[in-house]
Amino acid sequence: MKFTWHWLLDHLQTDKNINEIVEVLPKLGLEVASVKNLADDLKEFVTVKVIDVKKHPNADKLNVCKVFDGNRSFNVVCGAPNVKSGMIGVFANVETYVPGIDLILKKTKIRGESSEGMLCSEKELTLSDNHEGIIELPETSEIGVPIVNVMDLADPTIEIEITPNRGDCLGVRGIARDLAAAGMGALKDLEFEEIDGDFDSIINWKIDLDEDKKNLCPKIFGRSFHNVVNVESPSWLKNRLLAVDQRPISSLVDITNYIMIDIGRPLHAYDADKIVGDSLTIKQSKQGDKFSALNGQKYDLDEGMLVISDGHGIDDLAGIMGGERTGVKEDTTKMFLEAAIFDPISIANTGRRLNLNSDARYRFERGLDYDSPDLVMHYAASLVKKICGGTCSKIVKLELGKQKKIINFTPTSTYKLTGVEIESELSKSILEKLGFKITNNNDVWDVIVPSWRPDIDGIADIVEEIIRINGYDHIPSIKLPRKNYIAKPAMNIKQRQSSIASRTLATRGYSEAITFSFLNEVMAKQFNGGIEQLALVNPISSELTHMRPSILPTLLLAAQKNINVGSDSLSLFEVGPIFLGDKPDEQTSSVTGLRLGNKIKRDWRSSSRDFDFYDIKLDVLKTLEALGINISSLQTYEDTPSYFHPGRSAVLKIGQKLIANLGEIHPEILDFYGFEKSILGFEIFYENIPIPKKIKVSRPMLKVSPLQSVTREFAFVINETTPAEKLAQIARSSNKDLIKDVLIFDVYKGKNIPDGKKSIAIKVTIQPLTETLTDDDLEKISADLINLIGTKLSGSLRSQ
Amino acid sequence: MISELRDKLLNLSDEISTSISQSNSLNDLEEIRVNSLGKKGLITSYLKNLREYDEVSKREIGALVNDLKNKINNLIIEKKDFFKTQILNEKLITEKIDVTLTPHENNTGTLHPLSRTIEELCAIFADMGFSIVEGPDIETDYYNFTALNIPLEHPARQEHDTFYLQPDENGNRKVLRTHTSPVQIRTMEKINLENFDEIRYIIPGRTYRSDHDATHSPMFHQCEGLVLGKNINMGHLKGCLIDFCRTYFNVEDLPVRFRPSYFPFTEPSAEVDIGCKKEKDGSLSIGSGEDWLEILGSGMVHPRVLEGVGIDPSKYQGFAFGMGLERLTMLKYGIPDLRPFYDSDLRWLKHYGFIPVDNPSLHSGLNGVLS
Repeated sequence: MKFTWHWLLDHLQTDKNINEIVEVLPKLGLEVASVKNLADDLKEFVTVKVIDVKKHPNADKLNVCKVFDGNRSFNVVCGAPNVKSGMIGVFANVETYVPGIDLILKKTKIRGESSEGMLCSEKELTLSDNHEGIIELPETSEIGVPIVNVMDLADPTIEIEITPNRGDCLGVRGIARDLAAAGMGALKDLEFEEIDGDFDSIINWKIDLDEDKKNLCPKIFGRSFHNVVNVESPSWLKNRLLAVDQRPISSLVDITNYIMIDIGRPLHAYDADKIVGDSLTIKQSKQGDKFSALNGQKYDLDEGMLVISDGHGIDDLAGIMGGERTGVKEDTTKMFLEAAIFDPISIANTGRRLNLNSDARYRFERGLDYDSPDLVMHYAASLVKKICGGTCSKIVKLELGKQKKIINFTPTSTYKLTGVEIESELSKSILEKLGFKITNNNDVWDVIVPSWRPDIDGIADIVEEIIRINGYDHIPSIKLPRKNYIAKPAMNIKQRQSSIASRTLATRGYSEAITFSFLNEVMAKQFNGGIEQLALVNPISSELTHMRPSILPTLLLAAQKNINVGSDSLSLFEVGPIFLGDKPDEQTSSVTGLRLGNKIKRDWRSSSRDFDFYDIKLDVLKTLEALGINISSLQTYEDTPSYFHPGRSAVLKIGQKLIANLGEIHPEILDFYGFEKSILGFEIFYENIPIPKKIKVSRPMLKVSPLQSVTREFAFVINETTPAEKLAQIARSSNKDLIKDVLIFDVYKGKNIPDGKKSIAIKVTIQPLTETLTDDDLEKISADLINLIGTKLSGSLRSQ
Repeated sequence: MISELRDKLLNLSDEISTSISQSNSLNDLEEIRVNSLGKKGLITSYLKNLREYDEVSKREIGALVNDLKNKINNLIIEKKDFFKTQILNEKLITEKIDVTLTPHENNTGTLHPLSRTIEELCAIFADMGFSIVEGPDIETDYYNFTALNIPLEHPARQEHDTFYLQPDENGNRKVLRTHTSPVQIRTMEKINLENFDEIRYIIPGRTYRSDHDATHSPMFHQCEGLVLGKNINMGHLKGCLIDFCRTYFNVEDLPVRFRPSYFPFTEPSAEVDIGCKKEKDGSLSIGSGEDWLEILGSGMVHPRVLEGVGIDPSKYQGFAFGMGLERLTMLKYGIPDLRPFYDSDLRWLKHYGFIPVDNPSLHSGLNGVLS
């Protein structure tokens, strides 16, 4: 909402200056977006006469001009096509700041010709975006004076952001009313001549709405104007409109636009001669109806849109835009003016479905002053009479009765809700200045809501009005009481796990990334997602169409971007949501990471080594350990999802619960992304980690033996397909009491080992508990172990 | 005879002492030891011959020989230590390395600045008795809008640029939540009114709007707050948020301004600004100067929202607030641009990220150490 300072003063009697007003507006909830005071910004620009124009000797498109300010002349190199000798233009001397190009002018040479300033375009003065040529002032303009004196720039403009509830402030008068209530002056009466009209309108209203739809148009007023002259508007009106970015068209249209900005009340002007028949009908459109709007566009209407039609058909989209056929033109002499109240929801729906925005729609959607049609019929008539002459008819109206909105308000509510202690009298005075009426002064007030505030409908709204005008600075600042002297943990166990996992991985060399939750369909499908339920209806780009089924693809994209800027090794992880369906319980969180490139970089003491499966396995195991998992409770499977390399990946589970997938990403996927080297990835589904019902804080007692442990090494030949870990497990189980650890230290296939077999060497740590073991004891432990491997895996000791 | 022996022993002592002091290696020394103190050594032989003397002489000579034996032994040990030190020193010299060589990198990763901000927020609000709750990213139209007093046709909806998904089997339209506020509703629905006194929650999470330019990302993060109780008023809102702003930005007297605003789900509503100064180079100094910077929205929970979840607004009232986490992060840590937050460029992650061992807490301070 943009308005000018003088426009505001039309409604507000005040001794405050613009800075004081601008200071107060945000405190009222009217956020100031910009204040533009051209008189200040442009005070150094002066009028000059161009006394000589010569072609620039070294540039085709430039001229070397002499300009005269009445005192001395200046050389100016100018490229504007419209520069000519004798014209009066706007001159900026050297050292002047030119706001439109954000530059301080310097004396300079342009292709060898000196230039001591600039002849300016409207764009350079920020008057408009026009920079096709320089400004040409009337020949009669005085020269050598500030342009502020010559051009009508003395009125600063203020632009404020209006929140959706404050439709009443989409007119200058509403803003003035708020300022007056806040003690910044007094609201002036709206001055206009009340003209009753002495003949009947040639156009009448008809309603063609079902009984239950009548509330779509609870009120509609109109009146005819005869013998009007639709001249160009007077300059005061044009300047006002230009200042608030409204294009002057013709006086009748300009008057409706002026009133819309002035009191926030949109109007529609018909050329009465073009209306077919003697009535306009308010009705709902049928599927397939067509409408040609004032903006030159044609619209196909849906069922049920609120429209106004004459004998010929629909020619007004109620509250949004008038029709092409019946709009006023320069030759209009008979006008029919409409002021209505339409249902905001209906207007919003229609506007949204047709994707048609207008200043009128914007105001209708936010709710209009219910009483405004009465007033505006007179206000508009007085302006039309003043500017376009002619006569006007009596007012024709259709109106459903409407109850005044009354809210029972207990004045103590203000303190209860906000902690602000405020005198009843002050509350009352604030409300009355805002236009509320208080009819009952007892403990519970009957507060009548003004017709222009449809947003007010409860006690909380009234409280807000009181403390808003009283000032939010008066709200006390109260510490939240401390319930427990020492605060309880804020995180639940899952949140803590995600933090621990993040820290573990970052310590191990992974950097945390945050990637988008959506990706394209192909990638979603590669990672077993891409279902219809998770497709966006209105994606922002074809690359961001589906909710991700895994974090791996978005991390792969991140890796790709890094490779493109020269990275050759990287480790990234992310903790975030993945989506299996669109229900809340189908969203889960995963800790996902990937590594590629060198684990060890080549340097003066080592050759390089790339990350492999076992590096990532260690990352996963260390993370799971940090999350409180006993690694021996994990079972390893090989049925990983299809996006992993089938021979180089694993699944870790606890019971039926999937805990992690890890391994090399499938070469086909890497190829799709354009990676040349292998990438290792993992996903940990930490939400699946079983949480014990009772978490034990105290540790089991530590038992350490004072006796020295003994180690024995064995090499077994077993089937090639038997997992090595199986051998270690069996070895461990051969004496659960004494064997503390089994470490695989060699895996060998090839010479001296039969085809289909492999050799696994293990180091077994035996920990005596109560007494030192004898050679016989150790012999027996070894023999048991060898026997068990023999029976369970048909493994035999490798012959030396 | 004894005096003769004594002289002999003295000579022997001098002789051995000299050869010890003149010895050049551990081997020489060992030879001397064997020759003097060994089983067949010279000194040992005197002890063996003691038998030949009477008891008195035996005692006297024995003492003399033992003295000599101890003296020589000590000299040998001393000299041995000398050689050992010498050998070690020589060895140390040969073991010298070039300390200017750079060891190969053992990269430590970093945590994302947004994670840092979330943790800092959690630390501050936890101290004020808040707990963290989360909710789904895919919401129904009801939770994201209707329950928050934003009916279908409300103008505020148009400002949300909502992403839509397919309607479910009951025709409920699914959306990507445009704010974290729907979790307020989910949280309040779970309240057991039988024994309800007060709740304090913060709700961090991902949010989505279909807007993509220099200052908007289709995915971003918010943190919502909700306090509901019997005696919570707007003064508490003010106190709580002033405390938050000052602690988060670590400026004790940070000016904090509350300004009327509008959110459909709060009434009265307030926008919160902090004092700052726009420097000539375009950067911002938080806490001084004439300018104001909007950092969060807040208000008293709208009675209609409470009624919608079955809470009687005449018995319970409270406040809610919401803030954009990217913005808070950018302001505090001087990050100039929003877009790289999601680009995962390692150079950015390392530069703006945080070391994992610096866990934000109120006792160690919230100003993150740069990685």
